[in-house]
Amino acid sequence: MKFRPFRLSLLSLSLLIPAALCAVILFLLIYSAPAIGFNGLGFVTGVTWNLGNLYGDPVTARGFTVPAGADYGILVFVTGTLVSSFLAILIALPLSVGAAIFLAEAVPPRLRPVLSLLVELVAVVPSVVFGLWGIAVLIPLIGHYVSPSGNGYGLLSSSIVLALMITPIIATTLLDALMRVPKENRESAFGLGATHFEVVTKAMMPMVRTTLIGGVVLALGRALGETMAVAMVSGGALNILPTSLFSPISTIASFILTQLDSAQSDPTNMAVRSLAEIALALFIITLGVNTGAKLLTSGALNVRKRQS
Amino acid sequence: MKLSNMLRRATALRSGVAALALAAATVAVAGPAHAATTLVETGSSLLYPLFNLWVPAFTASHPGVQITTTSTGSGAGIAQSIKGLVQIGASDAYMADALVHHNPNMLNVPLAISSQAINYNLPGLGNAHIKLSGPILAGIYSGKITMWNAPAIRAANPGVNLPAHKIIPIHRVDGSGDTFLFTQYLSRSTPSWAHSVAYGTTVSWPAVEGGIGANGNSGMVSAAAANPYSVAYIGVSYAAAAAKAGLGVAALKNAEGQYVLPNAETVGAAAASVVTVTPPDERISMIFAHGKNAYPIANYEYAIVNAKQADATTAASLRTFLNWAVTDGNAPQFLDQVHFLPLPDAIKTLSKTQIAKIK
Amino acid sequence: MSASANLKPVTRPARSLHELRRTIISQIGWIACGLALLCVIGPLVDIVGVVAYHGLAAFSGKLFTATSNGVAGGLLNAIEGTFVVSLFGMLIAVPVGIGTGIYLSEYGSNRIGAVIRFLADVLTGTPSIVLGYFSYIVFVTSLGWGFSLLAAAITLAILIVPYLARITEMALRQVPVAMREAAFALGATEPTVVFKVVLPGAASGVVTGALLALAISVGETAPLIYTAGWSNFLWNGHFMNEPVGYLTYVIWTFIEQPNAQSHALAFAAAFLVMLVVLAINIGVRLILRRNTRIA
Repeated sequence: MKFRPFRLSLLSLSLLIPAALCAVILFLLIYSAPAIGFNGLGFVTGVTWNLGNLYGDPVTARGFTVPAGADYGILVFVTGTLVSSFLAILIALPLSVGAAIFLAEAVPPRLRPVLSLLVELVAVVPSVVFGLWGIAVLIPLIGHYVSPSGNGYGLLSSSIVLALMITPIIATTLLDALMRVPKENRESAFGLGATHFEVVTKAMMPMVRTTLIGGVVLALGRALGETMAVAMVSGGALNILPTSLFSPISTIASFILTQLDSAQSDPTNMAVRSLAEIALALFIITLGVNTGAKLLTSGALNVRKRQS
Repeated sequence: MKLSNMLRRATALRSGVAALALAAATVAVAGPAHAATTLVETGSSLLYPLFNLWVPAFTASHPGVQITTTSTGSGAGIAQSIKGLVQIGASDAYMADALVHHNPNMLNVPLAISSQAINYNLPGLGNAHIKLSGPILAGIYSGKITMWNAPAIRAANPGVNLPAHKIIPIHRVDGSGDTFLFTQYLSRSTPSWAHSVAYGTTVSWPAVEGGIGANGNSGMVSAAAANPYSVAYIGVSYAAAAAKAGLGVAALKNAEGQYVLPNAETVGAAAASVVTVTPPDERISMIFAHGKNAYPIANYEYAIVNAKQADATTAASLRTFLNWAVTDGNAPQFLDQVHFLPLPDAIKTLSKTQIAKIK
Repeated sequence: MSASANLKPVTRPARSLHELRRTIISQIGWIACGLALLCVIGPLVDIVGVVAYHGLAAFSGKLFTATSNGVAGGLLNAIEGTFVVSLFGMLIAVPVGIGTGIYLSEYGSNRIGAVIRFLADVLTGTPSIVLGYFSYIVFVTSLGWGFSLLAAAITLAILIVPYLARITEMALRQVPVAMREAAFALGATEPTVVFKVVLPGAASGVVTGALLALAISVGETAPLIYTAGWSNFLWNGHFMNEPVGYLTYVIWTFIEQPNAQSHALAFAAAFLVMLVVLAINIGVRLILRRNTRIA
């Protein structure tokens, strides 16, 4: 093989991405190994996150040096993450589908670029600004009018904020797909006497179903990893599973963010390593969801080719 | 099209050069203008308001030192000071024995005496100074006492019209010196709490239906203000904010069975009980102190510093600031605004001895 | 239910009950979709409105000339800090990202290219707090850099390189193969083809990618909290052991303080961040539309 210095230098730059990713994964695996050993399976099923007696002397438990009474369980955070994300999808899906349909079919072509630009812009608002708006507008609204206890922080606010953040992802994916549906399908449906709405819902939507699912899964991946906005409106629950829409929750990402400092008060460092284990778990979950989304959206292309 | 491409490239090139020039100018301006020493302080939200009063006054008379203050909670203050990320870790809690063994160079230097109030949000009872005790609060925070008109609370407050409403206990979620003080009060007054939850800057709070977690003392004030029928432990430097939010201050039962409010007299009495027995490393608690008039939740406010600093200039600036803090900084013009008490002279001497160790 | 089962051919203007029901359902459907669009765009308008209203109310000369002091003061240190952190993050990310994009588009139609593309997508999907945690443990504490510009810039760079790479690759692929072949036919070497023919042809796409990456850097918080720390002063030129302030920190912490000046600063910072982010994103999309229309 010819020695091409230009290509090799470009290749070495490109390999920095895999290198960085491998560094992160290896670090998480190696750093959390003692925690994985100590926590075992009880990690995922335990409800209490207990750093143990930080002002007593460390003891040896299960072969590791930890503070007395240390017991790390992340069920609260996993539950908070999954429930808030699924609730967000539940809210976002009808909104995105309706918005995309309206933009694709009902909006005059001159207005479409402006309105679709506005939808795309929702996706670029920084997460922390969503959190600020949540604190300033959403929490008082929910606290005064909706919540029975007057407390606006919690599952509902987190889900609403997440829903607003992921709606543009689903909507733009779906809009793009709807615009690409072949003209023949639309026109033949009209020819059969369908109303405009029926053309869209019964002739066009089934064709873009796979892409829609791909968009939803992509949005789910985004919601699972969301940190700042949720940290600001979720209420920071510890050791208690959510029981209602207004219960405070904690998600994995917001938990890592808020607890990294206090985990360092543990002189044995087991708490920080357990946080690494949680980060690893979050990484694996988002990796799985995003890979699934990619498979679905690229698979959709094949479906369309076969149909046309 | 080629012309527009060239134009676009030209404008892109021009803006790129402009950006680089601006960057170079920023670095040039920023660089030499700051040959001063920078000190970074982080930690206790209870001590934060006082630091924000100290820094402008200190910098006015010592322009060569720049001090950044942040409020992250005492747990972070201790941890980051140990790791060398900051020079001053502000903390309401002294370091644990295990941490001291691992890090023998760390100093716990008291800078002032502070206290913590138990605030509650009961409509109409804001000025009533409800009487609460360690066992009652332990019951509330462990979920055993759920209603404001529970028998234990009614027994302590005869004649007060307590509402038949669920109590909402608010706790800190960050590594907090206030949590340390509060849980130490509960541990020393209630054996069942000492054996189950114990104390620390982070504890595993028992699951209580409706319990709320807040970040920082400011978060505690906001959460208590937003939730009627809540109870929260808030540092006394936020007393003004708490009062403005309509929160009441509870009278707490001390070790002698008296119900006292936090003020200069009662906090002073608590401090007086430990002044003579404060060890040279100054790690001592005055929680649940003995004394008929002693307020049960009072403490030394610590600066957690590493005796071995990165370089001599930083060490010198640190010594200057800390010495200033325990002398000029302990003046009423600063401490009165946050309702703290000055250090007794004996403690000032001990602190100065520790500060001299910083190299 | 197949698409044709419910579609009855309309042969006469007279309407049966069934057709009336279908018409009503369709109208309700359109109204619902219109409301959905309103629900999607409405919050954006509200966010921009609220941030602009409170942010502009906090504007004063002091905002841009004074540094923050505890919980009050100005935003000069935060503005400069955001600028410096983004600048150095981009300085690291742009060569790596564009180099990767060039490789992927020109020489990346093989398995290595596919792997790099997949891993770049994985990196975009990684939660930013995981990267922040990694940088904190590895750079800030283990390597002893402390809160520093270098740690913050590297973390930001890791975050934005995959976006730069993919956008650059897509832009370069738009350049017709014929242009490359013509250049090769004239005897140009590979570097010449790339830098003098392909890149200039895709210049607007590449600059777009860089600007979008900049918009992401300006709005990021989680990766900076544990790497940049916070400083009440302007950056003093140290890359290590010197924390740096940034605007999103102000938004995240100052809103939690119980006084009005801090809230005002938080909104002012949010306004500035939104201004930059929206300006970049709107500008980029407008230029892209103009380009696709011309081309």
